[in-house]
Amino acid sequence: MPYAHPEVLVETDWVKENIGKPGIRLVEVDVDLQAYDAGHIPGAVGFNWQKDLQDQLTRDIISRAAFEKLLGGAGISPSDTVVLYGDNNNWFAAYGFWLFKIYGHENVKLMNGGRQKWLNEQDKTFTKDKPYHSPVLYTAKPPNEGLRARLSEVIGASGERNPNLVDVRSNDEYTGKIIAPPGMSETAQRAGHIPGAVSVPWSTAVDKDGRFKSAEELAEIYLKKGGIDSKKPVIAYCRIGERSSHTWFVLKYLLGIENAKNYDGSWTEYGNLVAVPIEK
Amino acid sequence: MVMNHDTRVYDNIVEMLPDEANPSPMVRINRLGATSGFPLYAKLEWMNPFGSVKDRAALGMLRDLQHRGALRNGRGLVEPTSGNTGISLAALGAALGYPVRAVVPERVPEEKKAILRILGAELDVVADALCPMPGQTGGGTINLAKTHAKAQPDRYVMPNQYENPENVLAHFRTTGPEIWRQTEGKITHLFVSLGTCGTVSGTSRFLKGRNPAVKVIAVQPSEGHDIPGLRNTSELDVSTLFDRTLIDDIVEIPYELACVRVLDLCRREGLLAGPSSGLVLEGALRAQTDGARGLGVMIFPDGLFKYVGYIAKHVKGITEEALF
Repeated sequence: MPYAHPEVLVETDWVKENIGKPGIRLVEVDVDLQAYDAGHIPGAVGFNWQKDLQDQLTRDIISRAAFEKLLGGAGISPSDTVVLYGDNNNWFAAYGFWLFKIYGHENVKLMNGGRQKWLNEQDKTFTKDKPYHSPVLYTAKPPNEGLRARLSEVIGASGERNPNLVDVRSNDEYTGKIIAPPGMSETAQRAGHIPGAVSVPWSTAVDKDGRFKSAEELAEIYLKKGGIDSKKPVIAYCRIGERSSHTWFVLKYLLGIENAKNYDGSWTEYGNLVAVPIEK
Repeated sequence: MVMNHDTRVYDNIVEMLPDEANPSPMVRINRLGATSGFPLYAKLEWMNPFGSVKDRAALGMLRDLQHRGALRNGRGLVEPTSGNTGISLAALGAALGYPVRAVVPERVPEEKKAILRILGAELDVVADALCPMPGQTGGGTINLAKTHAKAQPDRYVMPNQYENPENVLAHFRTTGPEIWRQTEGKITHLFVSLGTCGTVSGTSRFLKGRNPAVKVIAVQPSEGHDIPGLRNTSELDVSTLFDRTLIDDIVEIPYELACVRVLDLCRREGLLAGPSSGLVLEGALRAQTDGARGLGVMIFPDGLFKYVGYIAKHVKGITEEALF
């Protein structure tokens, strides 16, 4: 059983073969640029997930104009094939993938296994040199809101049990034992989950080397054990919307659930709502 | 004058590093749970020249790199560390002429970061992972150190204490033989904490080789702990040196007890121990309560001074409280 859309994934070996070819661009997306600055795949530009991909004043994804400026400034054209990779098992790269799709970038892919897999392969190199790419005029498409779940939709889904809601956080966050992962500041008032959500932690989707599990294994995890009905729409959420991008990618592109959305407001929005019940 | 352990005269600080001829001291516990049936001895690793058990692994790994010619042409070291290995490497580097870059997690005590800077190490502080994957604690520092070594191979080589067999060998060659000699072969129980697992694996392999009946008890903090340098077995994926077959029992101790036992050690034994030592003591006292007989040795990894801020955070009344 192949992935529903195998074309959105490339392996590290493919990236090594295709570095520097015309029309192929590499972008590293990380939680911050510390790792990128220390070393990255030759030719890759670095995007900071928080500063470059989110509007800090509106607590929103960056605007269409900002997206055009970001990509144009990095010399990326709408016709380029963009390969995204990053730290933390590609969470932030998956968020980047989601954003690229929202603004209609046609050819965007994830490097399977992310930064860590490349780092651990002897035949792959890193550089500290930052590439220069001449800026271009990038024109984005109007945002595809169909990929993004908003609060009202999530509240409706919770009551109706439709769409399916998938909580991708750790079990302790889902059951309300903790509000945020150990060491993280608690950015919600309450601990627990959205009523009706099933728990499938994001990490169940990957093997030890960070690559996605096979389509058969993913179907077993999400559809059979997780009880997600692939014929219904589905919404993934986590704490701040990056782990859920990873699961959204799995549901939509690897398992082929056409109507899959990422709820980027996630628990930091839902967990703070007044007079809206949660479950533990 | 020539190097002499009896007169304590040395040509170079490196000669002071511990081995069977120059063991770190062992001191008996007297007022905290002293029994004739199960005396407990603390092996004071903070008496090593750079202040911790990590002096042993650091020297072993560095010597190995020297022998393999990996440190020629001005190349230095880059290493992920919760502090002690970095301090040992930086001090050895200072004595032997190698630059050192240390990559530490943000939660490492400020004292350790300051000591590394004082020693001239270049320091990277890595923000604690946003949503860490179970079993991958420490992944950020290891990956950043690997990145430096990969991006600048002419400048850095990474010893990698989490995977380097020299870390285990150092304890097989020094800690194990020292304990065997110091106890005249009478040791029955070894109590040790888990971090990279070099100490437990190397020491256990030596002692069990001499006497398979020696029981090795690993003491680990409960999950969610914040004790620098220690790992719960749920966080041990990062280390390839963990060998469960060399450990008889793993005892989990509520991590809050580490500070309680530090106070006990300081106030009732005059032992200026750090929090990991406090945890190891608690594990040994529990074995004593459970009826263990023989002779117990506890490895106390490091001393108090680097943890003043840590202790003050957990124990009321240590620093002057602000008045509101």
